[in-house]
Amino acid sequence: MIESITGGYLTAPITGVILIMIGLYGLMVKRDLIKQVIAINIISPGVVLYFTGLGYVPEGEAPLLAHSEVVDPIPAALMLTTLVIDVAVTAFALALIIKIEEIDLEELEGDED
Amino acid sequence: MVFAFLLSTISYIDTNIDRIYKEVIFLAGVLSPIPIFLYSLENLPILTVLGGWTRVSGIEIGINGINFFFLLATLIIFPLVALYSLRHFDKFDEKSGDVSKGSKFCLILLLYGGILGSFITRDLFNFTIYTEIVSLAAIILVGSSSTTGAKSASFRYLMVYLLSSFFFIFSVGIIYVKTGYLNFHLIEQNLVMDTEIKVAISVAFTALIMKAGIFPLHFWLPEAHSKADTPISALLSGVTVNVPVFGMILFLRYTSIEFLTVPLMIVAFSSIFFGIFMAIFQTDVKKLLAYSTVSQMGFVLLGISILDIYAAGIYVFAHALVKAALFLNIGILISNQGEKNIEKLSFGNRGLLTITMISLSLGIGGISPFLGGYAKYTILNSLSKWSLYLFYIGSVGTLTLFTRMNYELFEFETSKKFRFSLEELVPFIVALLTIVVGIHYLPKLAIKDGMLVGIAILAFSVLKYSRLLEWNVPRFYGKDPRELGKQINFYTSVFVITNISFLMFILRDILRELF
Repeated sequence: MIESITGGYLTAPITGVILIMIGLYGLMVKRDLIKQVIAINIISPGVVLYFTGLGYVPEGEAPLLAHSEVVDPIPAALMLTTLVIDVAVTAFALALIIKIEEIDLEELEGDED
Repeated sequence: MVFAFLLSTISYIDTNIDRIYKEVIFLAGVLSPIPIFLYSLENLPILTVLGGWTRVSGIEIGINGINFFFLLATLIIFPLVALYSLRHFDKFDEKSGDVSKGSKFCLILLLYGGILGSFITRDLFNFTIYTEIVSLAAIILVGSSSTTGAKSASFRYLMVYLLSSFFFIFSVGIIYVKTGYLNFHLIEQNLVMDTEIKVAISVAFTALIMKAGIFPLHFWLPEAHSKADTPISALLSGVTVNVPVFGMILFLRYTSIEFLTVPLMIVAFSSIFFGIFMAIFQTDVKKLLAYSTVSQMGFVLLGISILDIYAAGIYVFAHALVKAALFLNIGILISNQGEKNIEKLSFGNRGLLTITMISLSLGIGGISPFLGGYAKYTILNSLSKWSLYLFYIGSVGTLTLFTRMNYELFEFETSKKFRFSLEELVPFIVALLTIVVGIHYLPKLAIKDGMLVGIAILAFSVLKYSRLLEWNVPRFYGKDPRELGKQINFYTSVFVITNISFLMFILRDILRELF
């Protein structure tokens, strides 16, 4: 549907912004910590899609030496860094949730006694 | 970062490695940038593109007027905190269980590398990546503390960091597509201040305000800074918060932020007063200092909102030295007496700690001839009437807060005797440095400053005898980690509302142009 409105050119950035909004909604409404990590993981590809879409050139080829009309490779290259960080951070966030359950809750219950 | 890598791999190569080697590698890593910095002082200002590329293709780095004080503060604080932490983590090694001293050293080196990198870069995306390294190292360091609630504080910090990072990258995308570059000099040359760029800068500023812990996006800071181990608190409150501030300085220098001055000034003053208000009622001494950071970051933002790079830089320098030393000084009292409640802490028989604490308190209150006095003087020179009065009220508030802290530390008497430890010298050296540098810049005693101290003591006496200080500030959310989800819902909502409020100022300008 977005493609029919934008003529294909802004499909990825607009989809990216929609994903960011969905993620924000999740972060504002969902109380479960794991669901919040998932919400963050919806914002992340939203940003990546938005940024990568900015480098799109209509009719552009993959940015290899043989081609003259190519898409901008910089946004895609930069987003690789963000994706790698996201994977590690998600793992860390989930590990922290386990630790919160194990340590902080236990200590809190200990304090109450 | 090379030394951090060495430190992390060496334990795997030889599991029985003597801890002295780890300490030597750590210290070598912390000290290694200092000769490079001293060498480059002869050739200032330096601007160079790595690998001999052009600005279009390469990453530009530099040392000049805009980052000099940021680098200087980092290069003074990190080595001193490193010396302090050599013995500190020994005491806590058994308690912290799974996080070894070597891992903490490794993370501190990563934090150090990330901070120095973000201060020297002139590339927007490179800056983003360095801030991510800094934030992640800081988050893990907070989480590695054995204090109750440290894991929750670390998770809260993590979520805030991710949210602000994604919005920052989003604004980087807009700037890239509008100017075609990520190098700040090229962005400056190709910049047309249209609505899209204004929106990008506004979103970037909101993200940076959140990362710097400025009210109303401060919520992660007091918990994270107070739950961390003391040397880490000193690094976080002293240096790490300056990284997003430097991002704002880069935007101020290379783009145009005039359209944001009013909202930034509103945020700055609200942060100053909110920080003081919350700090003055705290009984946890580390939380008191953390809220004071929220307030001081407000002063720094005020420097940015009046578009004065030098004033903001010198204020950051003064605050970094004083706040790091305050945390270290209080840390010695806490570890001696095993208590964080300010009403049960005492200077005891430690004269050196007392002198250091009083000098630092006067320094942070902006009293000449301390460096803080000169820093405040540079900011108030550019303020107009009403903002000048608010600024003075803020200064009196800070002094009142630190009068309370010193009063409580004097009032409580402990029969225990504490021995002198070498760690006491670290904050003392910093306090001495703030006086020497302060005298170098502003060699005079202002009568007005004396009056401010007098008003602050009076204000404290009124608060004390009217029993207002006994009031417990109602907590918006309890300590229960089960409420963490609800808190993050709330924080995200505040972030979105702040973003919208900033955008409303741009909309107001557009409407004004139209009609």
